[in-house]
Amino acid sequence: MAALEKDIIRSQERVKKLHGFALFWAVVWARAYPRIIGALRQKSWLFFETVFPLMGVIGYIYVYRSVNAPQEYIGFVVLGGAMTAFWLNVLWSMASQLYWDKEDGNLEIYVLCPAPMMAILIGMAIGGMLMSATRAAVIIIVCSLAFGVVYNVGSIPLLIAVFLLTMTALYGMGMMFASVFLASGREAWHLANLMQEPIYLVSGFYFPVKALGALVATAASIVPLTLGMDGMRQLLFPSEQATGLMPVELEVVLLILLGVLFIGGAYFALRKLEQIGRREGRLIERRR
Amino acid sequence: MTLVQRLHNIPAVNQSPALRAFVTAAWLGWQIESNWARPFLFAVYVIARPISSVLILVIMYSVITNGATGEPIFAFIYFGNALYILVNSVVTGVSWAVIEDREHYRVAKQIYTAPMNTYAYLLGRGVARLIIGSVSVLITLTFGVLAFRIPLDINVLLFLAATIFGLASLSALGVILGAVTMQTARLQTDLGSLVSGGLYLFTGAIFPLDVLPSWLQPVGYLFPVTYWLEVTRRALLGAHAARFPTFAAFSDWGLIGVLALMTALLWLASGWVYSAALRRSKEEGLIDIETNF
Amino acid sequence: MSNPLAIETQDVRRIYKIRGPKTKGEPTTRVALDGVDLQVKRGELFGLLGPNGAGKTTLIKILATLLLPSSGTARVDGFDVVRDTEEVKRRISMVSGGETSGYGLLTVEESLWMFARFYGLENKVAKDRIAAMAQIMGLEERMRAKISDLSTGLRQKMNFIRGFVTDPNVVFLDEPTLGLDVQAARDVRGFVRQWMDDHPDRTLLLTTHYMAEADEMCDRLAIIDSGKLLVCDTPANLKRSLQTEAVFNLKVAPLGAKPKDGDLLEAVPGVSRVNVADVNGHTELALTLRAEDALPEVLAYLTRRGSSLIALEKREPTLEDVFIKVTGRRLDQAADAEKAAE
Ligand SMILES: Nc1ncnc2c1ncn2[C@@H]1O[C@H](COP(=O)(O)OP(=O)(O)OP(=O)(O)O)[C@@H](O)[C@H]1O
Ligand SMILES: [Mg+2]
Repeated sequence: MAALEKDIIRSQERVKKLHGFALFWAVVWARAYPRIIGALRQKSWLFFETVFPLMGVIGYIYVYRSVNAPQEYIGFVVLGGAMTAFWLNVLWSMASQLYWDKEDGNLEIYVLCPAPMMAILIGMAIGGMLMSATRAAVIIIVCSLAFGVVYNVGSIPLLIAVFLLTMTALYGMGMMFASVFLASGREAWHLANLMQEPIYLVSGFYFPVKALGALVATAASIVPLTLGMDGMRQLLFPSEQATGLMPVELEVVLLILLGVLFIGGAYFALRKLEQIGRREGRLIERRR
Repeated sequence: MTLVQRLHNIPAVNQSPALRAFVTAAWLGWQIESNWARPFLFAVYVIARPISSVLILVIMYSVITNGATGEPIFAFIYFGNALYILVNSVVTGVSWAVIEDREHYRVAKQIYTAPMNTYAYLLGRGVARLIIGSVSVLITLTFGVLAFRIPLDINVLLFLAATIFGLASLSALGVILGAVTMQTARLQTDLGSLVSGGLYLFTGAIFPLDVLPSWLQPVGYLFPVTYWLEVTRRALLGAHAARFPTFAAFSDWGLIGVLALMTALLWLASGWVYSAALRRSKEEGLIDIETNF
Repeated sequence: MSNPLAIETQDVRRIYKIRGPKTKGEPTTRVALDGVDLQVKRGELFGLLGPNGAGKTTLIKILATLLLPSSGTARVDGFDVVRDTEEVKRRISMVSGGETSGYGLLTVEESLWMFARFYGLENKVAKDRIAAMAQIMGLEERMRAKISDLSTGLRQKMNFIRGFVTDPNVVFLDEPTLGLDVQAARDVRGFVRQWMDDHPDRTLLLTTHYMAEADEMCDRLAIIDSGKLLVCDTPANLKRSLQTEAVFNLKVAPLGAKPKDGDLLEAVPGVSRVNVADVNGHTELALTLRAEDALPEVLAYLTRRGSSLIALEKREPTLEDVFIKVTGRRLDQAADAEKAAE
C-alpha cells in the first residue's frame, strides 16, 4: 500500500488537468465547498446569524404595529428583512473577502494558481448564499406565521425570475466591489460600513421605495436590491401595487442590464487589480 | 510628553494595574480609531450610518401617519433610535476589539501574556468607540430637533445620572459579549452588532414595550438598556415623553434606582463571565485562534 | 520541449517605491534587483543563495507572476512571465517557508483538495495524490485535523505538499526549510532530491541562506547580494575556484593583545583573507593563504605577538568561503549590514 501510494508521486506520467470551462466549474465548487462546510461546522454561527437578525426584523414589525399600519406593510418588513441577509453577505463576505484573504495570506496563492479569479469569486458567492438563504428563509417563515402575513402571488414564475435576476446582479456587484475594496486597502472596511445602513434606507428595505420620491428612488436603483424588492413587493402584495416605483416588466429589463453591467465590471476590475498588484508589489501580499 | 504618558504619571494610575491597562487600552483604541476624524470617515460613521438608520424609521412612520411628526410617539421613536447608537457602538467596540486583536493584528498572544488586567484592557478598548458614538448621538439628536422640531425640556441632573449608569451598564454588556467572542470564530457580522440589533426588539427603543405581547415584555425589563432609554428620554423631553404607560408607575429617580441596581448586577456578572471565558479559552486553546473560511 | 531553458531572465530590475513618512533626503525607492541575468536548464535543481534582503524573494515573485519586473524580461518554461501569465501559472507552483496561511476551519485534506481543484486536477486524481504526498511527508495522520489546530511546522508541511500535488513543471521554493525541525527539514530535502531524480524534465528553484543545504542539494547555484548575481556555478566548481589557495583554521591562546584582521594581512605576505573570532577563551583564525608555504610565516608572526598555537587544521573550502570571497563578508555580517541599511 505504502509503496503504491508513493508511486503516484514518483510516476513520470503527467497528471491530466482540466481547462477552460471545466476548470472554471471545478473552481466554483471548490471555493464554495469550504464556505458551506464552514457554516455547517460552526453551528453557533447559524444560530447567531439567524436569531438576532430575526429579532431586529420583528422590532421593525412592531414599529408598524405601534402606528397601526396596514397588514401589507408588515409583509414589506418581512421581505426587506429577509433580503438584508443577502445584502450583508454581499457586503461583508464578498466585497470585503479579498481584503481578508490578503490579510490571511491566501490571496497570493489564489493569484498564483491558474484558476480564474471570477470562478473563485462566484464560488465564494454560492457558498455564502447558503447561510444567507437559511437566514432569509427563517425570517420569512417565522415572521409570516407569527404575524399572519398573507401573500397573493399573481405570477410565481415572474416572482422567481425577479428574485434570481436580483441575486445575479447583486452578487455581480459584490464581485466588482471585491476588487475595488481590495484596491482601497484598509478603507475597504469603511466602505462596507458606509454602504450598510444608507443602502437599507435608499433601497427601501422596510417601506415602498417610492416614499423617498421618484428621483432618489431612481438613483438608488443602481443597487439591484432597489428594483428587485420593489418588483417583489408588487408581485407579493398586488393590493399595494400603487406603491410600486415602475412596472415590474421594466424592472426585469433593468435588472438584466444591471447584471451585465456589474459582472462585466467585475471582470475588468479583477484584471486591472491583478495588473496593479503585480506592478506595485504590495496589493496582494500581506504587509503591515 | 503625550497625554497618555502624563496620565500614567498620576500615582493612582501608576500604581493600579487595572487603571494602567484601562488607560493604555483606551489610548490604543483611540490610535486605531482616531482616523475617524478624517472627513470621509467622520461622514461615514458619525453622520451617514446613524442618520440613515434613523431616517428609515422616520420614513416608515411618515408613510403611515402622513408625516405626523409632532406626535409624542415620533419623538419617542426618534430619540430611542438615536440613543441606541450608543448601545451599538459601546457593545460593538469591545467585542470587535477582541476579534481585531486576535485576527487582524494577531497580538492576542502578546496581550494575554502581558502582566496586566485584561478585563480593564477590554473595557478600555471600548472607550474610543464610546466617544465616537456619543458625538454621533449628539449630531443625530440635533438633526432631529432642528428638522422635526422635537421640543426639548432638559433635566440636567437626571440626564447625567442616567448617562453614567447607562454607559457603565453598556460597557459591562460589551465585556460579556467580548468574553463570548473570545470563544467563537469570526462571524460574518460581529457579535456586538448582532446582539445590539436583536435587543432593539426588547428594550423599547423604537416602540413602547406595551406593544409587545405580554409574555415577551419581561425580557425587556431584564436589560438595563430599557431603563436607561426610558430615563434619558424623560430627562431630555420632559412632559413630551412621559405619556407612555410602560413605566408610568416609576418616578424618574425610581427608574434611576432600578438602573443603578441592574448596572451593579451586570458588572458583577461581567466580571464572572469574563474570568470564566478566559479560563475556558486557556483550557481549549482559543486565545489566539484564527478563523477564516 | 524545444527550449532547454526552464528559467531565463535578461537584465531583470525591480525597484520598489518606499512608502510612509520619511525625513528629507531619504531615498524614495529601493532597488531590490539590479540587472539579473539567470539561466536555469530544464532538469536542474538550482539554488539562490544570499543574505536577508538580497532580492531572492523578489526574483521568485517575478518568476511566479506575482510581481512585474520594473524592466528586463523573464521566461518560465518557455513563456514570458508578463505576457503569458496564464500559461506560466499552469506550469508552476510556489511554496514559501514560514507560510502559515490557510482557512483555519478546513481540514488539511479539504484545503489541499480545494487548491488541487484550483489547478484543475480531477477529483479522484487530486485525492489520490494528496494522500500519497501526505504519506511521504508523514502528515497522513493529521489529514482530518483542522488547520487551525496545526503547529506552524505542520502547516508549512501542508503548504509544501500543496506545491507538489499539482504536478508542476517548475517549482519555486522560497526557504522551504525555514522553521522546520531538523528531521522535517531533512525530509523536505530528501523529498525534493528524490522528486528531481524521478522527474528529470522538471525544474526547481530554491532559495536559502543555509550554506550546507545549498551545497548538499543544488546542481548549480548563484550567490545574490544587493540585487546582483555575483557568481553562478556548481557547488563543486565554486569551491574549486578557491582550491589554488589554502584554507586553515587556527586556534591560538589569547596571550598578549588579540591580533586584528588587518594586522596579519599587512604583516605577513601571502595571506589573502583572514577572519578573527573569539571562541570560549581562545582565538580562532580562519585563514586563506595564497599558497601553503606562507603558513610558517604566519606562525612565526603569532609567536612574535606572544600567542601560542593550540590547534591547526587544514580545511576544504566551503560555500561559506566562497560567499566571503565574492561578497567580502560573512553571511551573518552581511545580514548586519542589511539591517544597518534599513
Ligand atoms: N513591497 C516592498 N516594498 C518596498 N521594499 C520592498 C518590498 N519588498 C521587498 N522590499 C525590499 O527589497 C529588498 C529585497 O527584498 P527580498 O524580499 O527580495 O529579499 P530576500 O533576499 O528574499 O530576503 P530574505 O532572505 O530576508 O527573505 C529588501 O531590501 C526589501 O526590504
Ligand atoms: Mg525572502
